[in-house]
Amino acid sequence: MIMANLTKPTLANLTKPGVAAGIVAILIILPLLTNSGFAITVMSQIGVATVFALAFNMLLGQGGMLSFGHAVYFGLAGYVTAHVMNGMANEDLPYMPVTLIPIVGGIAGLFFGILIGFVSTRRAGTAFAMISLGFAELVTALTLIIVVFFNGEEGIQTDRWIREEMFGITYGSDIQVYYLIAVWCVIAGIAMYILTRTPFGRISNAVRDNPERVQFIGYNTHRVRWLAFSLSSFFAGIAGALHAVNVEHVGFETVGLGQSGVILIMVYIGGTGNFAGPILGAILVTLLNSYLSDLTPAWYLYLGLIFVLMVMFAPGGLAGLIMMHDPIRRMRPRLLLAMLPAYAVASAVTLVALAGAIGLIEMIYFLSTTTTRESAMILYGIALDAADFWPWLICIALTVGGAFGCALTYPRMAEAYNSALHEARISVAS
Amino acid sequence: MSNAIKFTGVQKSFGPTEVIRGVDLAIEQGEIHAIIGPNGAGKSTLFNLVTGRHRVSGGRIALNGEDITNYTPYQINRKGLARSFQVTNIFGNMNVYENVRCAALWNLGYGYAFWHFVNRRRDLKERTDMVLEQTGLTSRRNVPAGLLSYSDQRALEIAVTIAGNASVVMLDEPTSGMSSGETEQAVALIRDISTTRTMVIVEHDMGVVFDLADRISVLVYGKIIATGTPQEIRADAKVQEAYLGTEAS
Repeated sequence: MIMANLTKPTLANLTKPGVAAGIVAILIILPLLTNSGFAITVMSQIGVATVFALAFNMLLGQGGMLSFGHAVYFGLAGYVTAHVMNGMANEDLPYMPVTLIPIVGGIAGLFFGILIGFVSTRRAGTAFAMISLGFAELVTALTLIIVVFFNGEEGIQTDRWIREEMFGITYGSDIQVYYLIAVWCVIAGIAMYILTRTPFGRISNAVRDNPERVQFIGYNTHRVRWLAFSLSSFFAGIAGALHAVNVEHVGFETVGLGQSGVILIMVYIGGTGNFAGPILGAILVTLLNSYLSDLTPAWYLYLGLIFVLMVMFAPGGLAGLIMMHDPIRRMRPRLLLAMLPAYAVASAVTLVALAGAIGLIEMIYFLSTTTTRESAMILYGIALDAADFWPWLICIALTVGGAFGCALTYPRMAEAYNSALHEARISVAS
Repeated sequence: MSNAIKFTGVQKSFGPTEVIRGVDLAIEQGEIHAIIGPNGAGKSTLFNLVTGRHRVSGGRIALNGEDITNYTPYQINRKGLARSFQVTNIFGNMNVYENVRCAALWNLGYGYAFWHFVNRRRDLKERTDMVLEQTGLTSRRNVPAGLLSYSDQRALEIAVTIAGNASVVMLDEPTSGMSSGETEQAVALIRDISTTRTMVIVEHDMGVVFDLADRISVLVYGKIIATGTPQEIRADAKVQEAYLGTEAS
């Protein structure tokens, strides 16, 4: 019974009425706190990424299928949505409110998911991953061939302001689009959460854990994977439609390997083993993408490094790192305070090491990309000359010193965690 | 009434190696039938052929009078045959309760449903609780399967096998690796679940076999050399010579 409490995974906290109401309140209030149009656009992007990431994790985390080409369903649904909106604007198609257009995207995603998924889910594991890669390349190639539908490299323009909808909504302003995305994000998120609690959801987990045994309890594993794939594509399609409404343009890059890779990185950084993991990943990576890319041209390098470090040292992702403290929080919350000093010291030396390493990377990047043999640059707000000896010495000293500090303090941090966990368990046992 | 399982001239070759060389055997409804034989005789292969893990090279297999030759494992399972594995084969990331519940889903008609909540279905809960009770796992229900002790994992292996209410249950070495105390418990469990089912077991422990089985078949180099009650098998000269190792006197 004790064990039960310690090992039961819970970010199911999301379903507690108080927590859920809090999240909804935050979603409503957040855009009102800023005047920046950019910030609202970023929030909208986070919403789209969240739906897509949760859909992707239905495959990866829940179903054990690693896809390198899930943007295909996101992007194709985006194209279909753009065409439908344009058709409605030209009165070639019967009108439906743009508020409901994500349903069109979902159905488009479902259609392509059922079609392509039938083939790709016949195999699991590496073969599945390779097939998904193949379809991603295939569809990317098609965007340049079938010009009528994809319009080549230009992509499809669309306009979300078709006519006034109920309550005078026109989607003329970004904040209206934000609320549209937020509402659909909540609906899709709840639906995907519910799916994990159904017979299908549980059998999908079973196929992930042990596909062989599933066959001997009456299930066709191909059917299970195909269904998971199709439903995941449905939600990816909703995300694709929201993307089309948000940016009013769908290009060939939305179906491509780049987009597929970003969603994989998001979900992995957030954590595949927990329902809330992909949400964390979508928030973090979108924020980095939006703000870091302004600060440094090397941001893709940093994203790659974060991804590699996560895979190597925290395969459970951010959610995994948080959830490993959950048993302590529930048994003896005070122990978390006792762990703080060790965590603070380790964080401090990590920051020192990072400051040095980032300084080095930025200087190297600056020198190697500058076109005018210029070496005067600004690092951390300090004007310096990258041709000088001192900035390099300082950055190397910070990096090496910080790394030594990490080597010294990380074991202490691990010890603080282990002893707190141990104590929490004992306190429950006694 | 038809036989629970009927083998007719079943053959299996892996490449040039003939592992099962024409097996004819009828397993009767409701009996506990043990298959014994020296290592490499083909016992596990025979299991894999009946349950659809391998395809037969020749011959027919029928389950309750219906031909199931070369059906897929899930088709065979749906027709009422379940098996356990020699090496524990469960869902390691799930807890004990979820393992058993998953195994009950198909039989209770849930299929691939994504419009029911699993924890709100009373029949699922009742079936799962019943199987846990029967296999003595009730107190371990919330433990992740990967963290169970070895004998509890073996019990869970059986629980997952019987949760789908199959009429024919095949157990592959259910007591392998167990201490004598654990073996005793396992034998009691097998006897208990056999009251409503046909059981086929492969077992190395001769004490267990002669204690449990209604009938025994002896498989040697891919052929059944004798089938009969424990007394008949014990007295059979061919068996003594080929398998039990004693000279026929």
